Amino acid sequence: MASAYNPIYTDVPEKDVFALHFLQTLSNLRTQNSFSSPDNKTSDRVKKIKKAAYVSMARAAGGANRLWSRSLLHQAAKRNNKNVRFLRRKRRVTWLMRRRSNRGDPIEDVAAERLRNLVPGGGGMETSKLMEETAHYIKCLSMQVKVMQCLVDGLSPK
Amino acid sequence: MDNELFMNTQLHPPPEIAAHFEQPSSSSTMLNWSLMDPNLTQHSPTQDYFSWRKSTELQQKQSIFDSALSCGGGDGFIIRELIGKLGNSSATPNRTTPLTEFSGDPGFAERAARFSCFGSRSFNGRTNSSLPVNNNGKIVNSVKLTRVSSTPALNGLVSPMVPAGEISRKRKHLTKVKSKETPLPTVSPAPSFSKTAEGKGGKRRRQDEEKEDNTKGPEPPKDYIHVRARRGQATDSHSLAERVRREKIGERMKLLEDLVPGCNKVTGKALMLDEIINYVQSLQRQVEFLSMKLSSVNDTRLDFNVDALVSKDVMIPSSSNRLHEAGLQAESLSHHSYNNNSQLHTNVSSSNMMLPSPVNSVETSTLASSFTHLPTLTQFTDSISQYQIFSQEDLQSIVGMGVAHNPNHESQNMKIEL
Repeated sequence: MASAYNPIYTDVPEKDVFALHFLQTLSNLRTQNSFSSPDNKTSDRVKKIKKAAYVSMARAAGGANRLWSRSLLHQAAKRNNKNVRFLRRKRRVTWLMRRRSNRGDPIEDVAAERLRNLVPGGGGMETSKLMEETAHYIKCLSMQVKVMQCLVDGLSPK
Repeated sequence: MDNELFMNTQLHPPPEIAAHFEQPSSSSTMLNWSLMDPNLTQHSPTQDYFSWRKSTELQQKQSIFDSALSCGGGDGFIIRELIGKLGNSSATPNRTTPLTEFSGDPGFAERAARFSCFGSRSFNGRTNSSLPVNNNGKIVNSVKLTRVSSTPALNGLVSPMVPAGEISRKRKHLTKVKSKETPLPTVSPAPSFSKTAEGKGGKRRRQDEEKEDNTKGPEPPKDYIHVRARRGQATDSHSLAERVRREKIGERMKLLEDLVPGCNKVTGKALMLDEIINYVQSLQRQVEFLSMKLSSVNDTRLDFNVDALVSKDVMIPSSSNRLHEAGLQAESLSHHSYNNNSQLHTNVSSSNMMLPSPVNSVETSTLASSFTHLPTLTQFTDSISQYQIFSQEDLQSIVGMGVAHNPNHESQNMKIEL
């Protein structure tokens, strides 16, 4: 997929950036005592790894440049500490919701709602912006999946 | 969709024809068209909509055309006549009406006239044949109809459009009734065709928001988008903005199409969106699954330390960086005595061997320099020894990520094989 001039910028950094970030996050995880202790429940561990994967993906994909990554990081930070910023966003969301409800395109809106639930940070976006974010999100997700696959393959016992 | 009055069947042939017809409208042009008519069978292999089928309707059209020719007169008016007759007689299309795309070609008027005069044949041919031809999703999404250039040729058409304007105005309400998502109603494509063909002139008369925005080639984004309202559409700001919004969404749908594998067969916004949603869900599930696998795997092998990896050249994503890290890893391994010294040495030597075969000369130099620096990194690797143990499999995994690079990527044409 190559376009000579794509006004919608959805460039995604290389795989090793993702790998770097993911390994960093994993190593941070490992230094946590609760993680490496054997009496840890598997599900917690899985959740932590998953969260680490998403956070590292968000960071690798450009940090605060993308809405979904920002919202992801914000969610993650919120879980850690209870500081909630972005109060302004709420106002923007309500305005957009009002504006969106005026549009009468049921098929598109239903699907857009589902997409909004999937893509992090999708609640406060117009549909066109949402689709940009989705495109970038898909790219980053696939990159992250590749990285994790490689890691699993490399680490799995031969 | 009422936006999609025309679909892009193939626009490459038309420009040639348009170039051919870059003449001021005259009766000679008309004669050229009639002359071109028998030649069209030669064009048919290349042009979808020129798959001619003989029919009685065709004969009628031809006769009308000939009579129009004999009358002489403004060719614009003749075109309108033809289009009007075509509109009354064409078969009703189904949803994906095969209509050519507006592309703002300068020779659009000539082309439009040409299409109209080969009228019924072209419409019939298009109705039936170009549907399977253009069964990619691009049909639906070539919604670039509002970007229509004002052409000098249209100037001549302005005056004759007044009589035909009434015809199109009557049809105006029909298109207005259409909702965006429902398939085109039984209004035949021809009136829409005529409407849009005339619409340019009509709109230029009204001068609502006029700007040409060629979607043919990439244009630098202006500060805000000018949209020309088509004839038969409401010209208030809401519907115009609505149309702009729909086009934006269409653009992005195209973008997403490329990303999501296997959605070429799917047409229509709703189905596409469903596909996209499924794909995103599957990716997320994959991440979850892989993280589960990773957690189970990492029980035994969690001990590799990333700090050594990231300490040098921390945030520079470059292949030389990766290999440098790998080189560091190899060096550190060689300095620690682990499972098998022999294995480690072979590891180092193998990685040393692989490196002289890079494609890029720049990479070679950096790598060579990085490897010559290895003996001097002893103090660094001594610090590494304080960290946890590296196992050979970990090195493989780390380097394995370099192996599994996308081979097509230009800046990373180094391949390390273990």
